[in-house]
Amino acid sequence: MRKGRARLSWIGLILIVFTVSICLTGTGIYGAKGPSESAAQKRADIIHIDSMKAFGKLERPPVTFLHQKHTEALAKKNKDCTACHLVENNRLVPQYMRLKSTAKQEVMEIYHVNCIACHKETADGGPKSGPVVCGECHKDRPELVSIWQPIGMDKSLHYRHSKAQKEKCERCHHQYNEVTKKLYYAEGKEGTCRYCHQDITEENRISLRLASHLACIDCHSKTLAKFDDAGPITCSGCHDPAQQKLIERLKVVPRMKRNQPDTVFVRTSKSGIIDPKQATRMKMVPFSHKSHEEYNDTCRVCHHANLNACVQCHTLQGTKEGNQVTLDASMHRLNVNMSCLGCHELNQRDPKCAGCHAGIARARQQDPNACQACHMADVNQVAESIQYTQEKDLAARMLDSRIPVAHTFAESDIPENVEIKTLMNQYGPVKLPHRKIVQTLSGNIKDNQLVRYFHRDQNMLCQGCHHHSPAAKKPPSCASCHGRPFDERDPSKPGLMAAYHRQCMECHEAMGIEKPVATNCVACHQKKG
Amino acid sequence: MSITRRKFLGWLGAATAGTTLGKTASAASNKHFSGYTQSMGVLFDNTRCIGCRKCEAGCNTVNELPAPDLPFDDLSLLETKRRTTAKAYTIVNRYDTVSNVNVKGPLYRKVQCNHCLEPACASACFVRAFTKTPKGAVIYDASVCVGCRYCMIACPFEIPTYEYDEALEPRVMKCTLCYPRIEKGLLPGCVQACPTEALTFGKRTDLLKIARQRISKFPDRYVDHIYGENEMGGTSWLYLSAVPFKEVGMREDLGYTPAPNLTSGALLGVPIVAGIWPVLLTGIYAMSKRKEKIANQETEQAVAVAVEQANAEAKAKYAKEMEQVQKFKEKEIENAVKKALEEAAKPKAEEASDTPPEEADKKPSEEDS
Repeated sequence: MRKGRARLSWIGLILIVFTVSICLTGTGIYGAKGPSESAAQKRADIIHIDSMKAFGKLERPPVTFLHQKHTEALAKKNKDCTACHLVENNRLVPQYMRLKSTAKQEVMEIYHVNCIACHKETADGGPKSGPVVCGECHKDRPELVSIWQPIGMDKSLHYRHSKAQKEKCERCHHQYNEVTKKLYYAEGKEGTCRYCHQDITEENRISLRLASHLACIDCHSKTLAKFDDAGPITCSGCHDPAQQKLIERLKVVPRMKRNQPDTVFVRTSKSGIIDPKQATRMKMVPFSHKSHEEYNDTCRVCHHANLNACVQCHTLQGTKEGNQVTLDASMHRLNVNMSCLGCHELNQRDPKCAGCHAGIARARQQDPNACQACHMADVNQVAESIQYTQEKDLAARMLDSRIPVAHTFAESDIPENVEIKTLMNQYGPVKLPHRKIVQTLSGNIKDNQLVRYFHRDQNMLCQGCHHHSPAAKKPPSCASCHGRPFDERDPSKPGLMAAYHRQCMECHEAMGIEKPVATNCVACHQKKG
Repeated sequence: MSITRRKFLGWLGAATAGTTLGKTASAASNKHFSGYTQSMGVLFDNTRCIGCRKCEAGCNTVNELPAPDLPFDDLSLLETKRRTTAKAYTIVNRYDTVSNVNVKGPLYRKVQCNHCLEPACASACFVRAFTKTPKGAVIYDASVCVGCRYCMIACPFEIPTYEYDEALEPRVMKCTLCYPRIEKGLLPGCVQACPTEALTFGKRTDLLKIARQRISKFPDRYVDHIYGENEMGGTSWLYLSAVPFKEVGMREDLGYTPAPNLTSGALLGVPIVAGIWPVLLTGIYAMSKRKEKIANQETEQAVAVAVEQANAEAKAKYAKEMEQVQKFKEKEIENAVKKALEEAAKPKAEEASDTPPEEADKKPSEEDS
């Protein structure tokens, strides 16, 4: 009897383990499924409603809400935004059906009562409506893939706005008065929205997200009520990458008017006074603000925190507000796009440049002569010119004096073909179309102003391949440096075979040249016959 | 004398304690081995590899391996993930990766023996068919191999392969780092064939320096890790990659402990069981035997002593008795003499001549005792 009971309990245990394992495998398979490529729905209007987070831990998964789907459905029923959003001070309130999130129960009720009521009502009138059961809203929807992309104001878009607003900057730009706690317009102090409106809402300023949705959509919808043409008011209109591409871009954008200089000497002291006796020891840098405006889409690429001169935050020794980044670092730091060298170096990643530059270590240019490409003005000279209010002229003159040199030598000086006959154990010689290569490279950079100033002489282009030797019209042959591979005394220098192959292949890869394919030996090497 | 239950359990306890204590002591005394200083190696840089399979061809030629089914310049083989075989010590696989934006095309991985600093294959081999040479190569001696293929199971990189086709004397086949060529000062076949120096041959210590230099010079080209510097205690082959190594099919779960250390704990039990236990048990047997022998000796001795004592006692008793007998006899003689004298006093001359022969009979009986 006792034995029988023990056996039964064993069977029970095995059954439990079996069931649990089946369940686990089941969920495992289900979990592994994920969104399949075909079923995935790409949307730019996904909002995760997790407003209850403010009141503690969520009891149910956040609701994945498709905003645009709702606006479209409401439009069909001749309802507008006010179906869901209240109006305060003549503006829509971004929260759903409330002015403020007061208490947990209250907010929850607002969602449940109103959402379900509308869904029920819609269901009565038509075939399709939203869910009314808890789990159908409160669930993950992995089949929805967000393609949302941020949008910002670029030069072209800004110009179109200011033109449409008849240059009434105050319609968008404002400052905050700490005393009166009111917004006011300060002429000549305009800046990018995100200088003040940042990621999260702070005491006296709302987040960028909130500010842009409040202001942009409000204005767009009001404009749309009066005219046929206005900016987008739907999610995808601004945030769908495909729609973003459709936004009209002006080819020629007139300069923004914000009292910025055309040409100027980069200041090294907060006061802006240039004193020959001050501590700055480098020669001064004449800077063409105007041409840099042309090459960039926004002001905030360089002016990342405000529109002041760099030295206001980045002093010679660094300040707290400048995050202790010194003036030197702010101009020369690599791998950031707001410093001079950082941005110039990013430009070198352009496939047209990358053929040569990808192989050069990303380190600060150490050649002291290179410094003088920018640091060219004597402090005394600049101080004097400022005295006679000729700073702008002097800077412009100095910049113009940098006469761009020809990219390379005259055609007749460039050997047309070079036949490589070394290392011919497997194949015949390689015929290198030398002149064609040089001409392609120089053609690529013909109109690049940056190159025109920084490739300082005709040899520069040649040095992409003929590197590590003094620039010369007739540089030494590859084999004079590259010989036997894996020399212990010079381990980083490739042997001759690898030097040839890597020089050609890595350049082709960096420049996106697909032919000849690197593995097709006979595309370059002649067959041994 | 038999072994009691208590004694047996006591010995068993001692044996167990001996086994466990012995293990800890050995593990603590393990010396740290960081590889031969002159070890050679190869650095594979997947940012330089173009997937041309010249290394496979080079390997095939210098090792005189059988010709492959498809020629080496047929790159369609890269479509499938292959592994090393008895006929190909090295192979190249292709991986399409996305995690590094600087990588424009596919990446390749060359697979061959990594020549571990402390090889798992060698530690698993009980006939010592594998040797880690000071030059770095892990070489195989087919003459002692018994074909157990433990090395194939032990290798974390799944490198050694077996000549299943060979009916007679099949061998374990794997890359030798071209040991005979290195000894002659030549480059390994694959390294010599590589057109782009994606394979760099040199002293392992130098290769580590070169690898670090490349990473620091081009930080966005490489992940900041040299595979093989510490994996499985370090390998003679080192790898640089543009993407995390698992994306090019390399195991990242191996840890930094050399294979022999992982198994030494368990394997230490083997000599203990195989070596110490027989000695211990023989000892226990010998001890019990000796005790029996001693006990026997003691009994014999005791018996001898007892016998001697009994003998002595018996002798003393006999002597006493004899004395008494003698005294009695003497008395009898005296009495007889007296009587005779008394009788002689009556007839004097006749009875006095009978006494001397009786005295001569008494003497030999005294000597016997």
